[in-house]
Amino acid sequence: MTLHTLSASPTTAAFADCLRLIAPGDALLLLGDGVYAALPGTGPRRALGACGAALYVLHDDAAAAGVLARIDGETVVDMDGFVELSERYSRQLAWY
Amino acid sequence: MFRPTMIYALLVMSSPASGQSAMTAARFARAVLARGHTISRVFFLDAGTANGSAMAVLPRDEIERLVPWVELAERDGVELVLCISSALKYGMLDETEAKRYDKPAGTTHPAFTISGLGQLVDAAASADRLVTFGG
Amino acid sequence: MTGLERKRLLLIIRHSPYGSSLARASLDVALAAAAFDQAISLLFAGDGVLQLLPGQDSGPLGVKNLGRLLASLPLYDIDQVYVDAETARRYQLDLAAAPLPARALEREALGELIAAHEHLLGF
Repeated sequence: MTLHTLSASPTTAAFADCLRLIAPGDALLLLGDGVYAALPGTGPRRALGACGAALYVLHDDAAAAGVLARIDGETVVDMDGFVELSERYSRQLAWY
Repeated sequence: MFRPTMIYALLVMSSPASGQSAMTAARFARAVLARGHTISRVFFLDAGTANGSAMAVLPRDEIERLVPWVELAERDGVELVLCISSALKYGMLDETEAKRYDKPAGTTHPAFTISGLGQLVDAAASADRLVTFGG
Repeated sequence: MTGLERKRLLLIIRHSPYGSSLARASLDVALAAAAFDQAISLLFAGDGVLQLLPGQDSGPLGVKNLGRLLASLPLYDIDQVYVDAETARRYQLDLAAAPLPARALEREALGELIAAHEHLLGF
C-alpha cells in the first residue's frame, strides 16, 4: 500500500499522472498546491472521490490556501499525522 | 502505545526559494524525530541542493529557511548531504570544491556535506521508509 | 558498501528528456543504484514516455544525449524497464525503435509493478 503525496495543482500533469497510478487501498495526501484538489464541487474533487484511496489534506498548506474551511470529506492532518501516515504505508511516492 | 521505531531516509528535490516543499521536508524531519524514529540521512538532489546555501538573504518577517536544517544537523545529529553533481551546477560549493574549481569562495553552510549519489542509494537500501519532497 | 541490504527500488519517470533537469537526475540515480548492486526498475509514465523516442539529437543544444545514455543502461544490468502502454499509444511511440527495450504495461499491471517494490522514487 502506497502513500501518494501530491503537491501540484489539479490542472497539472502530476495530478493526472497520480490519478492514473493510484489504487484502492492507497492513501493520498494533498499538500502544497495539491490542496486545491480538495475544493468541493469541482471535477478534480470528484475524481479524488472516485479513485478509491483514503484522502488526507495537510493542515497548514490548506490554511494558507484558504481551502481549510471548505474541506469536505478529507481528513485534515498536521505534521505528526503526516508522519503517522508514513508509518502506516510502507511506500511513499511524491507527485510534483 | 508501542510503536516500532523506524529508520527514515529523506530525499529533497526542491529549492527553498520555490514553494513550501523544502520547509515541509524540514518540518516532517522534525516530526519524525519527535515520534521516536531515526533519520539516517537527508539527501538533497537537483534544485534541492540550494537548501545548503549559506548565502541566501531573506526578508526579516519571513521564516528562516536554513535554521531548521542546521538545527536538525547540529542538535539532532541528522546527516545532511548535497549531491555533488547537482551542487556544483547550482553553485553550492564547500571550501574544498571552491578551491578545486577556482571559485572565489565556498557557498554552503558547514552543516551540509557534499557527496555522491551512493549516499542516497546507501540510505535508501537500509531505510524502512524513503520519503521524497519535490515541487 | 559490502553487505548492503537490498530494497527493490522503482523509479517512476514522468518528465521529457530535455525540458527539465529531472530526467537526467533520474538516470543518474538509476546508474548509482546499479553501481551499488541494488535491484532497480524504471517505469516511464506520463511525459516520461517521450524519453523513449528514437533519433534524439541533442548536439545542437550542447547537452548530453539522454537517448544514448538510456541505451547504455543495459550494459550496467539495468534491464527492468517498463513503460505505461496507454501513454505510449497516445504518443504513437514505436517501442521497437526505442533507445532501450521497455515492456509496455497496461494499467492493472502498473499497480502490480508498484506493489513489487519496497521503495518508490518519483521524478
